[in-house]
Amino acid sequence: MKDEGIDNILKKASQGSQDLDPRVLKHIGEAIKPSLHPVRPLPPVWLMSLGLIAICVVISVAGAARAGFFGIAKMNGLERSLVFPVLALLACLTAISFVHQMIPASRSYVSPARLLLLCCLALFADFAYLFRDYHTDHFFSVGIVCLAVGLLHAIPAGLCSWLLLRRGFAANFVTAGLAAGTLAGLAGVGMLELHCPNFQAAHILFWHIAVLPASAALGALLGWAYRLLMQREDGRPL
Amino acid sequence: MVRYQQGDFIAATALIDRISPRLHRFFVAQSLSRANADDLLQETWLRIHKIRHTYRPGEPALPWFFAIARHIRIDHYRKFVRISTRERELEEMSKEVGAVPHEGSTVSELESLLAPLAPSQREVITMLKIEGMSLEEVARATSSSVGSVKQKVHRAYKKLREKIGTRSGTRGSGGLS
Repeated sequence: MKDEGIDNILKKASQGSQDLDPRVLKHIGEAIKPSLHPVRPLPPVWLMSLGLIAICVVISVAGAARAGFFGIAKMNGLERSLVFPVLALLACLTAISFVHQMIPASRSYVSPARLLLLCCLALFADFAYLFRDYHTDHFFSVGIVCLAVGLLHAIPAGLCSWLLLRRGFAANFVTAGLAAGTLAGLAGVGMLELHCPNFQAAHILFWHIAVLPASAALGALLGWAYRLLMQREDGRPL
Repeated sequence: MVRYQQGDFIAATALIDRISPRLHRFFVAQSLSRANADDLLQETWLRIHKIRHTYRPGEPALPWFFAIARHIRIDHYRKFVRISTRERELEEMSKEVGAVPHEGSTVSELESLLAPLAPSQREVITMLKIEGMSLEEVARATSSSVGSVKQKVHRAYKKLREKIGTRSGTRGSGGLS
């Protein structure tokens, strides 16, 4: 049977489906009437994305200002011109993706999971090209500190981003959390690049980039927990 | 939709009258009973009303409605799984006693036709072939890519072709008429 034949069968079957009870429609109308007041639509995507990027920049710079700009001071021109523009570009893409996650039926070109992978790979390639000191001193003890510092800056970035988009609605809390976590992770990586003077390849490639998946996982976990909480509240007897 | 956002009750009721049958058909096609579909429709409208500010003027409205309906259906499915796991024993007891068919539990032709499909294929077929949405609109409503929608439709049609072939074969041999 050809596709057109199946189309016709589906059309016929749908015509024979049960009609909707008009009382249900009346009930819906009555239910929404008392709270029917004008609402202000969400701002444009570019404006919300710009707000998210501003939050990330402010938190990264404020964190580095408090801890010291040792990393950027030690970098040469090429390193500066390849690290920060790449971070900015990835932050733009992730901010747009997060905004789209918070608007139902919004067009998104790349899923948050793929975007996380793209961010990790892009940063890995960028850092592997720039930082070629292959010594490893105190790999674990120094690295864990950088990971913790990165995450400590990612958490406020994630919370502020969520606050900025609180009027949005995530159709999928887990992917929205993943996008928020990735963006927050980029803020953490940005702070580390401004601050950390340790340019050993293994340290940067492992511990700095690890902030990104760790923060994204935390965001997804929070999204999942929030969804569970919402479901429990919905299912609670009145 | 814009007038609904501005608080116009006439526009809101017109929208409810126009969109509800489509959303209801969507829920029924997901193998839900009529009573459940009615409940989910009301729940969907309450959610739509609560987050009506997230609709952006100029964007297609149908995918926006279906994205929310889909979210409500998934929530309902998760709740159903949770409750059914807890109440399995009770269900087994009721099976032994003999289940009494509820009003509206009759299976429509559409439901029986879509029954062999996976839930994701069913929702894509309902939106694309029954509601007449475009591939782009379905992709928006399901938060997936156009390629993924095409793949689901292709697989669904393969299953439907098999089912229709089997059904017409059975009819030919005098099994069903």
